[in-house]
Amino acid sequence: MRHPTFLITVVLAGLLALPGCKLVKNEELAKAKAEGGTQAGAGASAFDPDRMARDMWGPRIVPYLEAKAGPFTEVQALIARNPDEAGTRFGYREKPEGMPWTIASRFEGRIVAANTASRAATVDVDVDGDGTADAVVQIGPVIRGTALRDRLDFISFNAFTNQIDYAQFAKSLNTLMAETALAKLPREDLVGRKLSVIGVFPLDKPGGKPLVTPAVVTLGDKS
Amino acid sequence: MSFRTPFRTPFRKLLLTAGLAGMLAAGAGSLAQAADLIAIITPSHDNPFFKAEAEGASKRAKALGYETLVLVHNDDANKQSQLIDTAIARGAKAIILDNAGADATVAAVQKAKDAKIPSFLIDREINAAGVAVSQIVSNNYQGAQLGAQEFVKLMGEKGNYVELVGKESDTNAGIRSKGYHDVIDDYPDLKMVARQSANWSQTEAFSKMESILQANPNIKGVISGNDTMAMGAFAALKAAGRTDVIVVGFDGSNEVRDSILSGGIKATVLQPAYRQAEIAVEQADKYIKTGSTGQSEKQLMDCVLINADTAKKLETFALAD
Repeated sequence: MRHPTFLITVVLAGLLALPGCKLVKNEELAKAKAEGGTQAGAGASAFDPDRMARDMWGPRIVPYLEAKAGPFTEVQALIARNPDEAGTRFGYREKPEGMPWTIASRFEGRIVAANTASRAATVDVDVDGDGTADAVVQIGPVIRGTALRDRLDFISFNAFTNQIDYAQFAKSLNTLMAETALAKLPREDLVGRKLSVIGVFPLDKPGGKPLVTPAVVTLGDKS
Repeated sequence: MSFRTPFRTPFRKLLLTAGLAGMLAAGAGSLAQAADLIAIITPSHDNPFFKAEAEGASKRAKALGYETLVLVHNDDANKQSQLIDTAIARGAKAIILDNAGADATVAAVQKAKDAKIPSFLIDREINAAGVAVSQIVSNNYQGAQLGAQEFVKLMGEKGNYVELVGKESDTNAGIRSKGYHDVIDDYPDLKMVARQSANWSQTEAFSKMESILQANPNIKGVISGNDTMAMGAFAALKAAGRTDVIVVGFDGSNEVRDSILSGGIKATVLQPAYRQAEIAVEQADKYIKTGSTGQSEKQLMDCVLINADTAKKLETFALAD
């Protein structure tokens, strides 16, 4: 009796060990930690989220998002058909339960409305040309949420001492992005102009217009 | 992955392990006498949040064939240390812990680890990695931003407000406050006139709110780091005839749900506490049987805004579909 049961256990053990991608992820984590200059378990005093964001933004994060971003129409169609497949192809989430996918996408469209009264300003962008908004893009200076951080598969909560450090890194990324990509964006007379965006959004309200946090924006003319 | 278990474990437990492969449910009852023990340690059940955690963990553990030892540390790190000793002495196979302090807890969890007992933390983090097997916590920053955005909307983006903060030794107090301020501070017409800790306590929040109100009668809102403090603050406001003051909490307790539905407290943020406790037990079970949870140590679970629109769906720290 011992032998067959043991075999089953060994097979089981093998199966459970299968998700080998975890190993790759941990290596990337270690790399991210080294590059970012933070250490798991290190005191809060050694942690400099602004510097970590600055060191990674140009060399690593922007090229990463440029490479991962899927064409908006294709992404939206896949989300409508199978959100998890869209998440797997264009998105990332650190664990399978209790948090939404964060998707990377690129699009070009026309600004059909601008909400610039709030410091958390947004523009509505018509991507498919039917005159109605398909995406809401944050244009700062205040950027809501943690989507920029959450889309990066080489950044893990596990690399941070606690939630506070992890939150500060997200805030640093938002601030840096707003300074880098959005500061020169005009606040007036935006409606009617072209806007191209590479950005990210959480898949937290199926059917709703995505709230996109941009990483790269280019403002074009009215035409 | 460890292969120790199959060599050492008696036959009946091997059967249970093998059961994972397909048909788990049936065998558990017959193993009752030899059932392994899981210790479930939380703060006082006076706060329904911790009671729900203990219940969620205990029910899941029993369903998986374990005996449970449910203990409370009352946010006293010394008592927590004694309870960990008890769990070790009783030969617990795992400890589910909502801990009594991010720094003070590290040594206690290390002590369990040294005794070869894995710990699975819920709700609150500790400031060390690699000591606990899992740390499953609510995404407090995301949740606090949801609560703060609702608060800002309810306040009409202006007015004097009070912040009640949780217990300082708990990382959740700091992270929620940061989440609140990362949103609220963007509105220059929202002015914080008082910020005090009421240590997560309903009675303390009641007395603090009374004195804050005397010093600052001109307040329009109170944002609280948890629901019990929100309940205490609202009771004090009600006693002073100030039910016009907007109160927002954090946790998603049934008490605050009922207050929202009767037009009292305006909003809270649901932490999926019940499911979180279940997940911790499921990971403990997997770890006991296979030597690995298959998950990274630190895991976040997103929170959900609860207001008059969604309160009806809330029951015992979970949303009905």
